[in-house]
Amino acid sequence: MKFDMDYIAHHNELTEFNPYFKLFLSIILLIVTLALDNLYFDVFIFVVMSIVILAIAKINYRSYLKFLSIPMAFLIITCIFLLFFFGKGDVIYETGIFGIVVTTDSYHYAVYTFMRVLGCLPCLGFLALTTPIAKVLNCLRTLKVPKILVEIALLMYNSIFIFLNEIDTMQKAQNSRLGYHSYWTSFKSLGALASTIFLRSLDKSETLQHSLDSRGYDGELPVYKPRKMEE
Amino acid sequence: MLEVKNIKYAYNSEYQALKGVSLKIEKGEMVALLGKNGAGKSTLFLHLNGIYEPDEGQVFIDGEELKYDKKSLLKFRQKVGIVFQNPDDQIFAPTVEEDVAFGPLNLGLSMEEVQDRVEEALARVGMSGFEKTAPHHLSGGQKKRVAIAGILAMKPEIMVLDEPTAGLDPQGVVNLQKLLRQLNDEGITIVISTHEVDLVPNYAQRVFVLVDGLLIAEGTPKEIFAQPEILEQANLKLPIVTELFQELEQEGFDMENDYPLTIAEAKDKFLDLLSKN
Repeated sequence: MKFDMDYIAHHNELTEFNPYFKLFLSIILLIVTLALDNLYFDVFIFVVMSIVILAIAKINYRSYLKFLSIPMAFLIITCIFLLFFFGKGDVIYETGIFGIVVTTDSYHYAVYTFMRVLGCLPCLGFLALTTPIAKVLNCLRTLKVPKILVEIALLMYNSIFIFLNEIDTMQKAQNSRLGYHSYWTSFKSLGALASTIFLRSLDKSETLQHSLDSRGYDGELPVYKPRKMEE
Repeated sequence: MLEVKNIKYAYNSEYQALKGVSLKIEKGEMVALLGKNGAGKSTLFLHLNGIYEPDEGQVFIDGEELKYDKKSLLKFRQKVGIVFQNPDDQIFAPTVEEDVAFGPLNLGLSMEEVQDRVEEALARVGMSGFEKTAPHHLSGGQKKRVAIAGILAMKPEIMVLDEPTAGLDPQGVVNLQKLLRQLNDEGITIVISTHEVDLVPNYAQRVFVLVDGLLIAEGTPKEIFAQPEILEQANLKLPIVTELFQELEQEGFDMENDYPLTIAEAKDKFLDLLSKN
Protein backbone atom coordinates (compact mmCIF):
# COMPACT_ATOMS: atom_id res chain seq x y z
CA MET A 1 0.00 0.00 0.00
CA LYS A 2 1.23 3.45 -0.84
CA PHE A 3 0.95 6.11 1.81
CA ASP A 4 -0.81 9.13 0.36
CA MET A 5 -1.39 11.70 3.05
CA ASP A 6 -3.30 14.00 0.76
CA TYR A 7 -5.71 11.29 -0.22
CA ILE A 8 -6.32 10.49 3.46
CA ALA A 9 -6.91 14.15 4.23
CA HIS A 10 -9.63 14.22 1.60
CA HIS A 11 -11.25 10.95 2.57
CA ASN A 12 -11.90 10.62 6.28
CA GLU A 13 -14.77 11.22 8.64
CA LEU A 14 -13.52 14.64 9.74
CA THR A 15 -12.72 16.12 6.32
CA GLU A 16 -15.81 18.34 6.28
CA PHE A 17 -15.43 19.30 9.94
CA ASN A 18 -14.86 23.01 10.64
CA PRO A 19 -11.21 23.62 9.70
CA TYR A 20 -10.82 26.59 12.06
CA PHE A 21 -11.72 24.41 14.98
CA LYS A 22 -9.23 21.76 13.91
CA LEU A 23 -6.51 24.34 13.36
CA PHE A 24 -7.05 25.97 16.74
CA LEU A 25 -7.36 22.69 18.56
CA SER A 26 -4.04 21.49 17.14
CA ILE A 27 -2.27 24.73 17.90
CA ILE A 28 -3.64 25.01 21.42
CA LEU A 29 -2.83 21.40 22.24
CA LEU A 30 0.67 21.89 20.86
CA ILE A 31 1.24 24.93 23.02
CA VAL A 32 -0.21 23.30 26.13
CA THR A 33 1.84 20.15 25.64
CA LEU A 34 5.02 22.14 25.20
CA ALA A 35 4.29 24.50 28.06
CA LEU A 36 3.28 21.92 30.63
CA ASP A 37 6.29 19.76 29.93
CA ASN A 38 4.81 16.95 31.95
CA LEU A 39 5.56 13.33 31.08
CA TYR A 40 2.13 12.05 32.07
CA PHE A 41 0.36 14.77 30.15
CA ASP A 42 2.45 13.96 27.05
CA VAL A 43 1.36 10.35 27.17
CA PHE A 44 -2.21 11.40 27.85
CA ILE A 45 -2.29 13.68 24.78
CA PHE A 46 -0.66 11.02 22.65
CA VAL A 47 -3.30 8.48 23.59
CA VAL A 48 -6.26 10.86 23.31
CA MET A 49 -5.25 12.28 19.93
CA SER A 50 -4.44 8.84 18.59
CA ILE A 51 -7.90 7.70 19.58
CA VAL A 52 -9.41 10.74 17.88
CA ILE A 53 -7.47 10.01 14.70
CA LEU A 54 -8.15 6.30 14.64
CA ALA A 55 -11.64 6.04 16.08
CA ILE A 56 -13.34 9.31 15.21
CA ALA A 57 -11.66 10.27 11.92
CA LYS A 58 -11.57 6.55 11.09
CA ILE A 59 -8.14 6.64 9.59
CA ASN A 60 -6.63 3.27 8.80
CA TYR A 61 -4.18 2.35 11.60
CA ARG A 62 -1.50 1.31 9.10
CA SER A 63 -1.58 4.74 7.47
CA TYR A 64 -1.34 6.31 10.90
CA LEU A 65 1.67 4.17 11.83
CA LYS A 66 3.33 5.14 8.56
CA PHE A 67 2.65 8.77 9.32
CA LEU A 68 4.31 8.36 12.72
CA SER A 69 7.21 6.26 11.51
CA ILE A 70 9.11 8.94 9.59
CA PRO A 71 9.31 11.60 12.31
CA MET A 72 9.76 8.79 14.81
CA ALA A 73 12.97 7.72 13.12
CA PHE A 74 14.34 11.24 13.39
CA LEU A 75 13.17 11.49 16.95
CA ILE A 76 14.91 8.31 18.03
CA ILE A 77 18.17 9.31 16.38
CA THR A 78 18.00 12.73 18.01
CA CYS A 79 17.31 11.29 21.43
CA ILE A 80 20.18 8.82 21.15
CA PHE A 81 22.49 11.73 20.48
CA LEU A 82 21.01 13.69 23.34
CA LEU A 83 21.43 10.74 25.64
CA PHE A 84 25.09 10.11 24.94
CA PHE A 85 26.64 13.35 23.82
CA PHE A 86 24.98 16.16 25.73
CA GLY A 87 24.56 17.46 29.20
CA LYS A 88 26.61 17.68 32.34
CA GLY A 89 26.02 16.37 35.81
CA ASP A 90 26.46 13.04 37.58
CA VAL A 91 27.40 10.06 35.48
CA ILE A 92 24.79 7.35 35.75
CA TYR A 93 26.02 4.99 33.05
CA GLU A 94 29.41 4.45 31.41
CA THR A 95 29.57 2.91 27.96
CA GLY A 96 33.32 2.41 28.21
CA ILE A 97 33.92 3.58 24.63
CA PHE A 98 35.85 6.84 24.19
CA GLY A 99 34.57 7.93 27.56
CA ILE A 100 31.00 8.32 26.30
CA VAL A 101 28.67 8.53 29.28
CA VAL A 102 25.09 9.10 30.16
CA THR A 103 24.58 11.81 32.76
CA THR A 104 21.54 12.73 34.80
CA ASP A 105 21.20 15.82 32.69
CA SER A 106 21.37 14.11 29.34
CA TYR A 107 19.03 11.38 30.51
CA HIS A 108 16.53 14.02 31.55
CA TYR A 109 16.86 15.84 28.21
CA ALA A 110 16.46 12.71 26.17
CA VAL A 111 13.40 11.44 27.97
CA TYR A 112 11.65 14.77 28.10
CA THR A 113 12.38 15.59 24.46
CA PHE A 114 11.17 12.19 23.40
CA MET A 115 7.91 12.41 25.30
CA ARG A 116 7.25 15.99 24.30
CA VAL A 117 7.64 15.20 20.62
CA LEU A 118 5.61 12.05 21.08
CA GLY A 119 2.78 14.13 22.50
CA CYS A 120 2.98 16.75 19.76
CA LEU A 121 3.07 14.37 16.81
CA PRO A 122 -0.57 13.29 16.92
CA CYS A 123 -1.64 16.91 17.47
CA LEU A 124 -0.04 17.83 14.16
CA GLY A 125 -1.17 14.56 12.65
CA PHE A 126 -4.72 15.37 13.59
CA LEU A 127 -4.57 18.51 11.48
CA ALA A 128 -2.50 17.06 8.65
CA LEU A 129 -4.43 13.84 8.27
CA THR A 130 -7.95 15.19 8.52
CA THR A 131 -7.78 18.54 6.74
CA PRO A 132 -7.15 19.06 3.02
CA ILE A 133 -4.41 21.61 2.53
CA ALA A 134 -6.71 23.91 0.56
CA LYS A 135 -8.82 24.40 3.67
CA VAL A 136 -5.83 25.02 5.91
CA LEU A 137 -4.56 27.66 3.50
CA ASN A 138 -7.96 29.32 3.36
CA CYS A 139 -8.01 29.49 7.15
CA LEU A 140 -4.57 31.04 7.22
CA ARG A 141 -5.69 33.62 4.67
CA THR A 142 -8.70 34.71 6.62
CA LEU A 143 -6.55 34.83 9.76
CA LYS A 144 -4.41 37.45 8.01
CA VAL A 145 -1.28 35.38 7.75
CA PRO A 146 0.99 37.31 5.33
CA LYS A 147 -0.09 36.64 1.77
CA ILE A 148 3.38 35.80 0.58
CA LEU A 149 3.65 32.90 3.03
CA VAL A 150 0.34 31.41 1.98
CA GLU A 151 1.23 31.77 -1.70
CA ILE A 152 4.58 30.10 -1.25
CA ALA A 153 2.92 27.29 0.70
CA LEU A 154 0.36 26.84 -2.05
CA LEU A 155 2.91 26.71 -4.85
CA MET A 156 5.15 24.41 -2.83
CA TYR A 157 2.27 22.09 -2.17
CA ASN A 158 1.55 21.92 -5.89
CA SER A 159 5.19 21.32 -6.79
CA ILE A 160 5.70 18.62 -4.19
CA PHE A 161 3.33 16.31 -6.01
CA ILE A 162 4.85 16.99 -9.41
CA PHE A 163 8.27 16.56 -7.85
CA LEU A 164 7.41 13.27 -6.15
CA ASN A 165 5.85 11.98 -9.35
CA GLU A 166 8.97 12.83 -11.30
CA ILE A 167 11.19 11.14 -8.76
CA ASP A 168 8.96 8.10 -8.76
CA THR A 169 9.01 7.78 -12.54
CA MET A 170 12.73 8.33 -12.82
CA GLN A 171 13.48 5.90 -10.05
CA LYS A 172 11.38 3.23 -11.71
CA ALA A 173 13.20 3.87 -14.98
CA GLN A 174 16.56 3.55 -13.25
CA ASN A 175 15.45 0.49 -11.37
CA SER A 176 14.30 -1.28 -14.49
CA ARG A 177 17.79 -0.79 -15.90
CA LEU A 178 19.33 -2.19 -12.71
CA GLY A 179 20.30 1.25 -11.44
CA TYR A 180 20.12 0.13 -7.83
CA HIS A 181 21.64 -3.28 -8.26
CA SER A 182 24.70 -2.70 -6.12
CA TYR A 183 25.94 -0.10 -3.67
CA TRP A 184 28.13 1.59 -6.23
CA THR A 185 25.41 1.84 -8.91
CA SER A 186 22.95 3.01 -6.27
CA PHE A 187 25.21 5.91 -5.42
CA LYS A 188 25.68 6.79 -9.05
CA SER A 189 21.98 6.49 -9.84
CA LEU A 190 20.98 8.60 -6.89
CA GLY A 191 23.46 11.27 -7.91
CA ALA A 192 22.14 11.31 -11.46
CA LEU A 193 18.60 11.46 -10.14
CA ALA A 194 19.33 14.41 -7.89
CA SER A 195 21.01 16.50 -10.58
CA THR A 196 18.38 15.74 -13.20
CA ILE A 197 15.59 16.55 -10.79
CA PHE A 198 17.19 19.92 -10.19
CA LEU A 199 17.35 20.74 -13.90
CA ARG A 200 13.84 19.49 -14.48
CA SER A 201 12.50 21.54 -11.61
CA LEU A 202 13.97 24.66 -13.19
CA ASP A 203 12.33 23.72 -16.46
CA LYS A 204 9.00 23.04 -14.83
CA SER A 205 9.01 26.27 -12.89
CA GLU A 206 9.58 28.19 -16.10
CA THR A 207 6.67 26.47 -17.83
CA LEU A 208 4.47 27.06 -14.81
CA GLN A 209 5.41 30.73 -14.92
CA HIS A 210 4.42 30.86 -18.60
CA SER A 211 1.08 29.23 -17.95
CA LEU A 212 0.35 31.50 -15.00
CA ASP A 213 1.33 34.53 -17.06
CA SER A 214 -0.87 33.49 -19.91
CA ARG A 215 -3.83 33.56 -17.57
CA GLY A 216 -3.06 37.07 -16.49
CA TYR A 217 -0.94 36.45 -13.37
CA ASP A 218 0.36 39.72 -11.97
CA GLY A 219 2.50 38.45 -9.12
CA GLU A 220 -0.33 37.96 -6.70
CA LEU A 221 -2.56 34.90 -6.46
CA PRO A 222 -6.18 35.97 -6.16
CA VAL A 223 -8.41 34.22 -3.66
CA TYR A 224 -11.51 32.43 -4.87
CA LYS A 225 -14.54 32.22 -2.60
CA PRO A 226 -16.77 29.39 -3.70
CA ARG A 227 -20.49 29.93 -3.58
CA LYS A 228 -22.04 28.68 -0.36
CA MET A 229 -23.75 25.38 -0.95
CA GLU A 230 -27.50 25.55 -0.47
CA GLU A 231 -28.24 23.05 2.22
CA MET B 1 -8.46 38.31 -36.42
CA LEU B 2 -5.11 36.88 -35.42
CA GLU B 3 -2.16 37.78 -37.52
CA VAL B 4 1.49 37.03 -37.11
CA LYS B 5 3.93 39.02 -39.24
CA ASN B 6 7.41 37.77 -39.92
CA ILE B 7 8.21 36.64 -36.41
CA LYS B 8 11.77 35.71 -35.54
CA TYR B 9 12.84 34.30 -32.22
CA ALA B 10 16.10 32.82 -31.01
CA TYR B 11 16.60 31.04 -27.70
CA ASN B 12 20.33 31.64 -27.97
CA SER B 13 22.83 32.59 -30.63
CA GLU B 14 23.00 29.05 -31.97
CA TYR B 15 19.37 28.09 -31.91
CA GLN B 16 16.99 30.13 -34.02
CA ALA B 17 13.60 28.64 -33.16
CA LEU B 18 11.51 30.82 -35.47
CA LYS B 19 13.02 32.15 -38.66
CA GLY B 20 10.35 34.53 -39.90
CA VAL B 21 6.86 33.11 -39.59
CA SER B 22 3.81 34.87 -40.98
CA LEU B 23 0.28 33.59 -40.78
CA LYS B 24 -3.24 34.89 -40.63
CA ILE B 25 -6.20 33.24 -38.98
CA GLU B 26 -9.73 34.49 -39.63
CA LYS B 27 -12.47 34.84 -37.05
CA GLY B 28 -14.36 31.63 -36.31
CA GLU B 29 -11.88 29.39 -38.06
CA MET B 30 -10.55 26.13 -36.76
CA VAL B 31 -7.03 25.60 -37.99
CA ALA B 32 -4.26 23.11 -37.39
CA LEU B 33 -0.56 23.80 -37.13
CA LEU B 34 1.30 20.72 -38.28
CA GLY B 35 4.93 20.07 -37.64
CA LYS B 36 7.25 17.50 -36.18
CA ASN B 37 8.69 17.69 -32.68
CA GLY B 38 10.97 20.66 -32.33
CA ALA B 39 9.61 22.48 -35.38
CA GLY B 40 8.81 25.54 -33.27
CA LYS B 41 5.09 25.04 -32.72
CA SER B 42 5.16 25.65 -28.99
CA THR B 43 7.50 28.59 -29.38
CA LEU B 44 5.16 30.14 -31.91
CA PHE B 45 2.19 29.61 -29.62
CA LEU B 46 3.88 31.37 -26.74
CA HIS B 47 4.10 34.43 -28.98
CA LEU B 48 0.37 34.53 -29.57
CA ASN B 49 -0.50 36.11 -26.24
CA GLY B 50 2.75 37.80 -25.47
CA ILE B 51 4.55 35.31 -23.26
CA TYR B 52 7.51 35.59 -25.59
CA GLU B 53 8.38 38.85 -27.24
CA PRO B 54 9.68 38.24 -30.77
CA ASP B 55 13.15 39.46 -31.71
CA GLU B 56 11.62 40.74 -34.92
CA GLY B 57 8.10 40.98 -36.30
CA GLN B 58 4.69 41.69 -34.80
CA VAL B 59 1.54 40.02 -33.65
CA PHE B 60 -1.86 41.53 -34.39
CA ILE B 61 -5.06 40.63 -32.63
CA ASP B 62 -8.28 42.09 -34.01
CA GLY B 63 -6.07 44.31 -36.10
CA GLU B 64 -4.41 45.74 -33.01
CA GLU B 65 -0.69 45.31 -32.51
CA LEU B 66 0.27 43.31 -29.46
CA LYS B 67 2.11 45.49 -26.97
CA TYR B 68 4.08 44.28 -24.04
CA ASP B 69 3.09 46.59 -21.23
CA LYS B 70 1.10 45.17 -18.33
CA LYS B 71 -2.26 46.60 -19.25
CA SER B 72 -2.31 45.54 -22.88
CA LEU B 73 -0.97 42.12 -22.00
CA LEU B 74 -3.89 41.49 -19.68
CA LYS B 75 -6.29 42.51 -22.45
CA PHE B 76 -4.68 40.28 -25.05
CA ARG B 77 -4.32 37.35 -22.72
CA GLN B 78 -8.04 37.48 -22.09
CA LYS B 79 -8.63 37.37 -25.84
CA VAL B 80 -6.13 34.63 -26.60
CA GLY B 81 -6.10 31.66 -24.23
CA ILE B 82 -3.40 29.02 -24.38
CA VAL B 83 -4.03 25.47 -23.22
CA PHE B 84 -0.63 23.97 -22.46
CA GLN B 85 0.38 20.55 -23.62
CA ASN B 86 0.90 19.12 -20.17
CA PRO B 87 -2.00 19.99 -17.84
CA ASP B 88 0.35 19.59 -14.86
CA ASP B 89 2.16 22.68 -16.09
CA GLN B 90 -1.02 24.66 -16.02
CA ILE B 91 -3.03 23.45 -13.05
CA PHE B 92 -1.48 24.70 -9.84
CA ALA B 93 -4.24 25.34 -7.32
CA PRO B 94 -5.14 22.80 -4.61
CA THR B 95 -8.71 22.41 -5.85
CA VAL B 96 -10.26 22.30 -9.30
CA GLU B 97 -12.54 25.28 -8.75
CA GLU B 98 -9.73 27.48 -7.48
CA ASP B 99 -7.71 26.70 -10.55
CA VAL B 100 -10.53 27.48 -12.95
CA ALA B 101 -11.21 30.71 -11.05
CA PHE B 102 -7.61 31.88 -11.36
CA GLY B 103 -7.94 33.44 -14.83
CA PRO B 104 -11.26 35.23 -14.28
CA LEU B 105 -10.06 36.57 -10.91
CA ASN B 106 -6.99 38.02 -12.57
CA LEU B 107 -9.32 39.83 -14.95
CA GLY B 108 -10.70 41.65 -11.92
CA LEU B 109 -14.27 40.38 -12.23
CA SER B 110 -16.68 40.34 -9.30
CA MET B 111 -16.72 37.21 -7.17
CA GLU B 112 -20.26 36.44 -8.27
CA GLU B 113 -19.35 36.67 -11.94
CA VAL B 114 -16.34 34.44 -11.31
CA GLN B 115 -18.49 31.85 -9.55
CA ASP B 116 -20.87 31.81 -12.50
CA ARG B 117 -18.03 31.41 -14.93
CA VAL B 118 -16.41 28.60 -12.96
CA GLU B 119 -19.68 26.72 -12.82
CA GLU B 120 -20.35 27.28 -16.49
CA ALA B 121 -16.85 26.35 -17.62
CA LEU B 122 -16.80 23.13 -15.60
CA ALA B 123 -20.22 22.19 -16.94
CA ARG B 124 -19.01 22.86 -20.49
CA VAL B 125 -16.16 20.37 -20.21
CA GLY B 126 -18.27 17.87 -18.27
CA MET B 127 -16.44 18.26 -14.97
CA SER B 128 -19.27 19.51 -12.77
CA GLY B 129 -19.14 17.83 -9.40
CA PHE B 130 -15.34 17.88 -9.24
CA GLU B 131 -15.14 21.44 -7.84
CA LYS B 132 -13.51 20.47 -4.56
CA THR B 133 -11.30 17.71 -5.91
CA ALA B 134 -7.54 18.01 -5.76
CA PRO B 135 -6.19 18.09 -9.33
CA HIS B 136 -3.57 15.41 -8.69
CA HIS B 137 -6.35 12.97 -7.92
CA LEU B 138 -7.74 13.30 -11.44
CA SER B 139 -6.90 11.21 -14.48
CA GLY B 140 -4.97 12.64 -17.42
CA GLY B 141 -8.09 13.21 -19.49
CA GLN B 142 -9.88 14.91 -16.63
CA LYS B 143 -6.90 17.17 -15.96
CA LYS B 144 -6.91 18.18 -19.60
CA ARG B 145 -10.57 19.12 -19.35
CA VAL B 146 -9.95 21.17 -16.22
CA ALA B 147 -7.12 22.94 -18.02
CA ILE B 148 -9.49 23.78 -20.86
CA ALA B 149 -12.13 24.96 -18.39
CA GLY B 150 -9.53 27.28 -16.86
CA ILE B 151 -9.13 28.96 -20.23
CA LEU B 152 -12.84 28.88 -21.13
CA ALA B 153 -13.67 30.70 -17.92
CA MET B 154 -11.75 33.68 -19.27
CA LYS B 155 -14.09 33.75 -22.29
CA PRO B 156 -11.39 34.01 -24.92
CA GLU B 157 -12.06 34.81 -28.56
CA ILE B 158 -9.23 32.61 -29.65
CA MET B 159 -8.21 29.37 -28.04
CA VAL B 160 -4.79 27.93 -28.73
CA LEU B 161 -4.18 24.30 -27.85
CA ASP B 162 -0.72 22.78 -27.83
CA GLU B 163 -1.00 19.11 -28.80
CA PRO B 164 -4.31 18.66 -27.02
CA THR B 165 -4.65 14.97 -27.84
CA ALA B 166 -1.21 13.99 -26.54
CA GLY B 167 -1.55 11.39 -23.80
CA LEU B 168 -5.31 10.94 -24.09
CA ASP B 169 -6.97 7.58 -24.61
CA PRO B 170 -9.03 7.10 -27.82
CA GLN B 171 -12.33 7.89 -26.15
CA GLY B 172 -10.78 10.96 -24.61
CA VAL B 173 -9.65 12.11 -28.03
CA VAL B 174 -13.17 11.68 -29.42
CA ASN B 175 -14.70 13.65 -26.55
CA LEU B 176 -12.14 16.40 -26.87
CA GLN B 177 -12.79 16.72 -30.58
CA LYS B 178 -16.51 16.99 -29.92
CA LEU B 179 -15.95 19.68 -27.31
CA LEU B 180 -13.66 21.68 -29.56
CA ARG B 181 -16.13 21.52 -32.42
CA GLN B 182 -18.92 22.77 -30.15
CA LEU B 183 -16.76 25.64 -28.96
CA ASN B 184 -15.90 26.48 -32.53
CA ASP B 185 -19.60 26.46 -33.48
CA GLU B 186 -20.18 28.98 -30.72
CA GLY B 187 -17.77 31.31 -32.42
CA ILE B 188 -14.46 30.68 -30.66
CA THR B 189 -11.54 30.62 -33.07
CA ILE B 190 -9.45 27.55 -32.44
CA VAL B 191 -5.81 26.89 -33.25
CA ILE B 192 -4.41 23.42 -32.63
CA SER B 193 -0.88 22.22 -32.92
CA THR B 194 -0.49 18.55 -33.63
CA HIS B 195 1.28 15.87 -35.57
CA GLU B 196 -1.60 13.43 -35.58
CA VAL B 197 -2.48 13.65 -39.25
CA ASP B 198 -5.44 11.27 -39.04
CA LEU B 199 -7.45 13.70 -36.97
CA VAL B 200 -6.60 16.92 -38.76
CA PRO B 201 -9.03 16.59 -41.72
CA ASN B 202 -11.86 15.95 -39.27
CA TYR B 203 -11.77 19.40 -37.77
CA ALA B 204 -9.34 21.70 -39.50
CA GLN B 205 -10.61 24.06 -42.15
CA ARG B 206 -7.07 25.15 -42.86
CA VAL B 207 -3.67 23.71 -42.16
CA PHE B 208 -0.30 25.36 -41.66
CA VAL B 209 2.89 23.35 -41.92
CA LEU B 210 5.85 24.45 -39.85
CA VAL B 211 9.33 23.07 -40.48
CA ASP B 212 12.42 24.18 -38.58
CA GLY B 213 11.00 27.55 -37.71
CA LEU B 214 9.64 28.31 -41.15
CA LEU B 215 6.12 28.06 -42.48
CA ILE B 216 6.43 26.01 -45.66
CA ALA B 217 2.80 25.58 -46.65
CA GLU B 218 -0.74 26.57 -45.87
CA GLY B 219 -4.06 25.51 -47.33
CA THR B 220 -7.04 23.25 -46.87
CA PRO B 221 -6.28 19.71 -45.68
CA LYS B 222 -7.04 18.54 -49.24
CA GLU B 223 -4.40 20.84 -50.70
CA ILE B 224 -1.77 20.03 -48.11
CA PHE B 225 -2.16 16.27 -48.20
CA ALA B 226 -1.98 16.29 -51.97
CA GLN B 227 1.64 17.43 -51.78
CA PRO B 228 3.84 14.51 -50.77
CA GLU B 229 7.01 16.60 -50.86
CA ILE B 230 5.69 18.90 -48.13
CA LEU B 231 4.71 16.00 -45.92
CA GLU B 232 8.12 14.47 -46.32
CA GLN B 233 9.86 17.72 -45.47
CA ALA B 234 7.75 18.05 -42.33
CA ASN B 235 8.30 14.46 -41.22
CA LEU B 236 4.59 13.77 -41.50
CA LYS B 237 2.63 11.11 -43.30
CA LEU B 238 -0.72 10.83 -45.00
CA PRO B 239 -3.86 10.02 -43.02
CA ILE B 240 -4.25 6.27 -42.98
CA VAL B 241 -7.47 6.44 -45.01
CA THR B 242 -5.77 8.36 -47.76
CA GLU B 243 -2.95 5.87 -47.85
CA LEU B 244 -5.44 3.10 -48.42
CA PHE B 245 -6.88 4.83 -51.45
CA GLN B 246 -3.46 5.49 -52.90
CA GLU B 247 -2.74 1.80 -52.66
CA LEU B 248 -6.07 1.05 -54.30
CA GLU B 249 -5.11 3.35 -57.16
CA GLN B 250 -2.03 1.28 -57.78
CA GLU B 251 -4.35 -1.70 -58.18
CA GLY B 252 -5.93 0.05 -61.13
CA PHE B 253 -8.81 2.04 -59.65
CA ASP B 254 -8.95 5.56 -60.99
CA MET B 255 -9.19 8.10 -58.20
CA GLU B 256 -9.27 11.15 -60.49
CA ASN B 257 -6.77 12.82 -58.21
CA ASP B 258 -9.26 13.03 -55.37
CA TYR B 259 -8.19 11.08 -52.33
CA PRO B 260 -10.52 10.99 -49.33
CA LEU B 261 -9.06 12.19 -46.03
CA THR B 262 -11.71 11.19 -43.52
CA ILE B 263 -13.80 8.10 -42.90
CA ALA B 264 -16.94 9.89 -44.12
CA GLU B 265 -15.30 10.91 -47.39
CA ALA B 266 -13.87 7.44 -47.79
CA LYS B 267 -17.28 5.86 -47.41
CA ASP B 268 -18.76 8.01 -50.17
CA LYS B 269 -15.84 7.28 -52.43
CA PHE B 270 -16.14 3.56 -51.82
CA LEU B 271 -19.82 3.51 -52.62
CA ASP B 272 -19.06 5.55 -55.69
CA LEU B 273 -16.40 3.09 -56.85
CA LEU B 274 -18.60 0.10 -56.12
CA SER B 275 -21.49 1.45 -58.14
CA LYS B 276 -19.16 2.24 -61.05
CA ASN B 277 -17.78 -1.26 -61.27
